[in-house]
Amino acid sequence: MRRALLVALALAASAARADGGTISGKVDATPPKYLADTVVYLKSVPGTHPPRTHEMDQRGLKFVPAVLVVAQGDTVKFLNHDNVAHNVYSPDGEAYNLGSFKQNEAASYTFKKAGVYTQLCSIHPEMLAYIFVGQNPYAAAVDAKGHYVIKDVPPGTYQLAVWNAAKLKAPDKGVTVAAGKTVQENIAIKR
Amino acid sequence: MQPSGPAASRLVLAVLALAAAAPARAVPAFARKYGTSCLTCHTVFPKLTPFGEAFRRNGFRFPGVDSDYVKQEQVALGQEANKKTFPNSVWPATLPSSVPLAVGVLGAGNLSPDKTASVPRDNNGTRFSLDDFVTEGQIFLAASLSDTVTVFGEVSIADGGADVEHASVHFNDLVGPRHLVNLSVGKASATLSSFGPHSSYAGGLAIPDVPVTAIYVDSGDPFALSGNAKGLEVNGVYQGRFHYAVGLANSNNGFGGTFNSENWYAAAGYKVGGMRLDGEGEAGPKDPMRPWAEEALTFHGFVYHSNEHFADPAAVGVAANDVSFTIGGGLRAQYRSAELDLGYYRQSHNRAFFDPAGALGKGTDGAFFGELSYVVYPWMVPFLRVQRITLHPSGGTSVSDLHLMPGVALLVRPNVRLVVAGNVETANGFPQDGAGAPLGWQGGSGDTGALVMTPGPTSTPSTKTQEFESLLFVFAWAI
Repeated sequence: MRRALLVALALAASAARADGGTISGKVDATPPKYLADTVVYLKSVPGTHPPRTHEMDQRGLKFVPAVLVVAQGDTVKFLNHDNVAHNVYSPDGEAYNLGSFKQNEAASYTFKKAGVYTQLCSIHPEMLAYIFVGQNPYAAAVDAKGHYVIKDVPPGTYQLAVWNAAKLKAPDKGVTVAAGKTVQENIAIKR
Repeated sequence: MQPSGPAASRLVLAVLALAAAAPARAVPAFARKYGTSCLTCHTVFPKLTPFGEAFRRNGFRFPGVDSDYVKQEQVALGQEANKKTFPNSVWPATLPSSVPLAVGVLGAGNLSPDKTASVPRDNNGTRFSLDDFVTEGQIFLAASLSDTVTVFGEVSIADGGADVEHASVHFNDLVGPRHLVNLSVGKASATLSSFGPHSSYAGGLAIPDVPVTAIYVDSGDPFALSGNAKGLEVNGVYQGRFHYAVGLANSNNGFGGTFNSENWYAAAGYKVGGMRLDGEGEAGPKDPMRPWAEEALTFHGFVYHSNEHFADPAAVGVAANDVSFTIGGGLRAQYRSAELDLGYYRQSHNRAFFDPAGALGKGTDGAFFGELSYVVYPWMVPFLRVQRITLHPSGGTSVSDLHLMPGVALLVRPNVRLVVAGNVETANGFPQDGAGAPLGWQGGSGDTGALVMTPGPTSTPSTKTQEFESLLFVFAWAI
């Protein structure tokens, strides 16, 4: 009985994914050196989204990943795999400070408000990462070449926007997503 | 026969002037920082292109957002977001990941076709000398601490020792629109024109010096307009066309070293046509193969007040002082690859000349200077420079020295420079000391443009003399 229920739930989840569409493309940045810290996202998607938990690690005095995309209500677990102590704080949005923690310790934070949260370490001021907290989970950070993929987007028409840490900009684009289809949108960002 | 007495001291001063006035060259630290060629900012260094002048004027920053152009890896000394937590955090800055240093070497060989001219006469009759072929080593430092704070430094190393010639911190865009209000603090040359202090293919300095107290009272550390001085300067560019600068400077003190020189200055200029003074919004050169070329006219003017102290020649161990006030101006007319720079200033002194009675007294001096150049190729620039220095002791006889410098500036490589320049000097008299004896001329525009004429054995203060002083071969490189 229990197995049957699990199978049914899995099939339902699979069907939901199959109902969604995909938005993908490439971002070109001018100057190109600022490409890395870029997120492509949908501005407003109706409905509720089950909260998820993500991880951001600290290794070699760097936050990994440097850009983490989450949604409002999601939790981020901050890890420390360095053999030195780290701190995690952000002056942005809800402005939190998770204190300092040793190697293999962790601290978590749940983001209640959408926005971009700069992640800093008070012990190592050079450390920097960004957590992009979207209104919805339909957002993606670009890869090293600027490619992005936003999956499982419910069919509909949305505003596709881009955020860049160096404040490079591009106008929002209207996109219409159909079930099982992929929409290609390339974006150029600049001053 | 070795030069002795005043002749020897004049020769030493000339050599010292050569070393002290050695200008900042191309600075490879900038090339490394931005990953760009020297030719982004220079034609034949240290002469700057319009873009290079804008970069200098902007406090050594590119137009737009400077860090957009920085290719050198930077170490963050805090993050931008730390500003939000200030004062609980230190205000952030960055540091280049590698030491932002560069080195350079400068020197000149000289050939004197006329054995009776001052240079060979004061140099054991030597017609050809490589004694100064490597005169000075230089260490440059150039870096950004943020998009608005930059540092620049230069240490020169010569036979006389090491000298911090330039060490300044530039706090840019302090208030108002970008480039309007900037503050530079440290040791630097005063802004007295719209262009850099070394904006010359011929001489090391665009504005020649008239070191009156060096000429008359043998001051070893005379006040000179071009000298790098400790102080602070507020400067800026308004709407890309008008610039200004006001500053306080300690300048030079030749006696005791503890006097406040009470120096202040102000300058302003306006540019019509061509690239904006701040380089913003540039559409690019009309001919992309000639990025230095433009059609523009720039006017500028300045005033400078100085209170210099030196050893009183009439009383051992006692300080004398000379208050001088300078007013001057100039223009640059550029038509494509041709450029004409003209300038003039007049200085009044209350106590720097010998009066007819042999006591320190009033007087004025003046300097006219002009340079015509044409960039034939980005590596070849023929030029003609003219300087005329006049001295007018109050109640005494006016004398003048005209200095013509035809030559060519060459880039052997983008960071290796050769300048070949002739030096023809025509003195209409010589300055005279308290006893009425003729003194040598000094001043001019630094390394390739110094006035070196000294009175011959039969010269009097009224002797008119023309000499082909030398054919100079200036060799410099930086890496």
